[in-house]
Amino acid sequence: MPTISFFQKDFEELLGRAAPPEQLESWLPLVKGELKDVTHATGEIRVELQDSNRPDLWSVEGIARQIRIKLQESPLAYPFLHAKAKPKRRILVAEGLDQVRPYVAACTATGYTVTEESLAQLIQVQEKLADLYGHKRKTVSVGLYRLPRIHFPVTYGLVKPTEARFTPLGFSEKLTLQEILTVHPKGMEYGSILAGQPLLPLLWDTEGQILSFPPIINSQDIGQVHAGDSDLLVEVTGTDMRMVLLTLNIFATNLADRGAVIEPVEVRYPYDTGWGKSIRTPCDISAVQKIPLKAIESALGLPIDSELVQQTLRAYGYEVKASRHTLAVRLPHYRSDLMHPVDVAEDVAISRGYDSFVPVMPAQFTVGSLSALEMMSDYIREHMVGQGFQEIFSNILLSHEELVERMRLPEDEQVVEVDNVMSQSFSCLRSWILPSLLRVETASPRAFYPHRLFEIGEVAIPDSSQELGSRTAVRLAIVIAHPHANFSEVHTCLDMLLFYLVKDYELEPLNHDSFLNGRAGTILCQGQPVGLIGEFHPEVLENWGISVPISAFELDVDWLCRDDS
Amino acid sequence: MQTSAVYDSLHPLEINLLAAFSQSGEKPVSDSSLQELSQLEPSQVSMALGWLQAKELVRIHSEVTTAWVGLTEVGHRYLADGSPPEWIIRTCRQEAQEGRSFTVKDLQGLNAFPPTELSRALGLLKKEGAIALGAGGRIEATETLSPTVEKLHVLLHELKKDRQELLSFAPDQQTLLRQYAVKRGSAQEPFRIEERIQREYIPTRTGKAVAKRCHAGSAEEVSQLTPDMLKDGSWRNKRFRKYTITLRPPRVAPGRRHPYREFLDLVKHKLVGMGFQEMRGPLVETEFWDMDALYMPQFHPARAIHDVYFVKTPTHAKTVAEPFLSQVAATHETGGTTGSSGWGYRYDTERARRLILRSQGTAVSARTLASNPLIPGKYFSMARCFRYDQVDATHATDFFQIEGIVLGEEINFRTLLGLLTIFAKEMAQAQESKFFPAYFPFTEPSVELHVRHPKLGWMELGGAGLFRPEVTQPLGVTVPVIAWGLGLDRMAMVALGIHDIRELFSVDLEKVRTLRGRFA
Repeated sequence: MPTISFFQKDFEELLGRAAPPEQLESWLPLVKGELKDVTHATGEIRVELQDSNRPDLWSVEGIARQIRIKLQESPLAYPFLHAKAKPKRRILVAEGLDQVRPYVAACTATGYTVTEESLAQLIQVQEKLADLYGHKRKTVSVGLYRLPRIHFPVTYGLVKPTEARFTPLGFSEKLTLQEILTVHPKGMEYGSILAGQPLLPLLWDTEGQILSFPPIINSQDIGQVHAGDSDLLVEVTGTDMRMVLLTLNIFATNLADRGAVIEPVEVRYPYDTGWGKSIRTPCDISAVQKIPLKAIESALGLPIDSELVQQTLRAYGYEVKASRHTLAVRLPHYRSDLMHPVDVAEDVAISRGYDSFVPVMPAQFTVGSLSALEMMSDYIREHMVGQGFQEIFSNILLSHEELVERMRLPEDEQVVEVDNVMSQSFSCLRSWILPSLLRVETASPRAFYPHRLFEIGEVAIPDSSQELGSRTAVRLAIVIAHPHANFSEVHTCLDMLLFYLVKDYELEPLNHDSFLNGRAGTILCQGQPVGLIGEFHPEVLENWGISVPISAFELDVDWLCRDDS
Repeated sequence: MQTSAVYDSLHPLEINLLAAFSQSGEKPVSDSSLQELSQLEPSQVSMALGWLQAKELVRIHSEVTTAWVGLTEVGHRYLADGSPPEWIIRTCRQEAQEGRSFTVKDLQGLNAFPPTELSRALGLLKKEGAIALGAGGRIEATETLSPTVEKLHVLLHELKKDRQELLSFAPDQQTLLRQYAVKRGSAQEPFRIEERIQREYIPTRTGKAVAKRCHAGSAEEVSQLTPDMLKDGSWRNKRFRKYTITLRPPRVAPGRRHPYREFLDLVKHKLVGMGFQEMRGPLVETEFWDMDALYMPQFHPARAIHDVYFVKTPTHAKTVAEPFLSQVAATHETGGTTGSSGWGYRYDTERARRLILRSQGTAVSARTLASNPLIPGKYFSMARCFRYDQVDATHATDFFQIEGIVLGEEINFRTLLGLLTIFAKEMAQAQESKFFPAYFPFTEPSVELHVRHPKLGWMELGGAGLFRPEVTQPLGVTVPVIAWGLGLDRMAMVALGIHDIRELFSVDLEKVRTLRGRFA
């Protein structure tokens, strides 16, 4: 979900009419946009775009285009898609690129002089597309060049890392590709995309001038566009043909919307691309799809007039033809997000405006209920509150130290650990609740005593017999902390709870390193261990920096819920 | 002030005294009579009289100063051993019988009295002719009796028991008493004369009115009603001390639900009231249920290492249930039988088994879809979810997502809007709501619900949509399904007066104990 920034004046020029921010905001539902802020002094506007399948909207050109179509209620015409003449310029793809970065597409844009503002917009789109749509340049990256300096045909080929040298953007001396990968900031940032490749992709022209080292960096002289330039080459490389073509189409359309003349480039491959070996870009990438009118009607919940739906879709940029029950639709060339008739249904709804739909209350009868586990949890919570306990509600990612070491458990105690740790403090799912309550005790020596705390909640218990390698369980834990806290007090609490839950239980002496020996027990129900109880070992309290005795128990709530328990 | 209010403000000692006044017919009463009548200690009487005067319930009626005379310690010694003149005569007579005599010096040598007293006594006896000085300064007792010695003797015996009013003695006695009384410069004297002021008190008008309410025995004040008082009925004679009820009471820590959980309880009960059934799912999930089943392509940007927590060990689930795995795989690749084009990439079944911490509550819905849900059916879950985010005021390490599904033949875009309208009213008491196009990978159409909260104004309440057929059909569901999620934390935070999401899970007990708010 990118947020883009543009100027009101630029937007108005693209739209062809005045549009104060309030007006813009009223149109934003058309592009799933949200107005983030407006700087009135400069006219700068920031908009967040939601739809990750509509990269064509991630630019001021795209936003203005969608609104223009709505205002004129029909698609815009882009003649470059239908140019008859054979393209003047070619890119030749060399053997072997299908193993590295197989696809390239390009076009030229002439007759439009780039301004500071439009250059900023070009760069913004280039970055957003490559970063978010192109997965940080992995699947798609874009290069812009000064056309007059390039002598066609251009070769998209492979070279050894030490073979080619050129001056990359931001540098003043020539570097080999190897050096770019190790010393250039972009090389270091994106080099991993080409990791393990013995040969690296490179674009050069017929005079041997290097255009760029995709997807890493452009050359300093040809690959740097300035305000005032009026003839450009746009090139896209990547690993997914459809995405490469779509990205080029978006660029071409954006530049055309600004008044540039787009001329296609022919790309010749030595291998099949799924789109042929010779392909002229930009081009239409979406086929006509047949959509039963009924699919749209049932999705939207109202009968739809075929005429009306055609009009609605045209006003959203579609090409539409219709028979009685079927629509034949084609997305504009800058979109590629039609997977299912429901996608068309949504566009109908958006084009009409969500506000135009009258809500209908769902009428079918259903029975509401809580799970047995939740009901048992609620019963226990109410009981513990009655016993005078404060409920605690904790985050359940803890550190290994808190769950294991501080509790004096053996180091190899199993807990569910996170692999990509962000912070050691949140590296494990809790396997029991008592450490959560001790966290509260550590933080609360100044809260007046006694402390009577309980928490009921989920824990994850490693269990290799489970499909998921662990199981999620619900546990109750309580702690009592005050200068005279002891076993008998907490035992009474357990006894009362289980009395009212109508559960018989016994305590069996337990040696557990978290508790004082001789003052800890396993809670047995029907001979099954369902929890533990005891006075915390002074070393545990010391480990937590707690200076008051604490007695505690922890109980398996899942077990209490079992029908046979 | 009303008499009852005055009465209520009285101390028990004051009541006792006023009762004594009313006993003596509201006539002037002396403090000594008050002592007798009230049976109080003199200090209590004088304290209570002070208070009553300050309250203008009693005033002084008359004031008489009287002199009282009594024995000092010296006086008591004289009574036992005789006064110095008596001693001199007695000693001299004894000596004379044995043919000896004393000089003044000899007497002094016996050290019976201090020299000044001795010389005063000698002077007196000589003046009154009771002794004579012979040759060589020898002292001889004559036959003449000293009238002063006699008088002193009488007075000492007279005052032996108790002190008496000075004026009750004859004038000559008074003179003698004054002469032999302690005064400045002569501490060693047998008598002490004290001036005492005797006052008489009388109730004021208000005092008289209040006194009528006072009677002996009403004054016993108690602070606590006891079982004994109730058993023997003695509470009737007690006066219960009034408390200063405007003071703050001491704090206690009551048993209490956690305030955030209290909020979630309310939401939970509202959802049950709307006919939703609770569903639950595991904290550790496979990518399959968390994302694949929701038609999020495996290359989706939100699935990267920086968005989801991956489990360290084991890294993969043993299996993912069939036929769901194959059906979802086919849907991703080609659309399968769903009528979709699919994502058109090579689906990785290994990746599907990768274990993660559940990143969205919709995973629970996906599992429900795959387990023969009721049709029509409504389900909800409050699922603990985990995102790979830096912890800050708007991101906790883990948080709750409240979300669910509605299945039924009647489900479509308009019933979706209808459901959201109900949510707006029930969850945010909002009469106005707006729907905006939204994007979620697993729904189409998708809606964002904005509501006008009575206190917070326009706010986003949740997101929803119709599950894509690419989600429902591979999981075996053929009816349309609404998927919805509510973002209610902001409402909870405003109600609790907190600005940092981490405080919803505070470890600070004092904070938890004091956090409160009205949610309804």
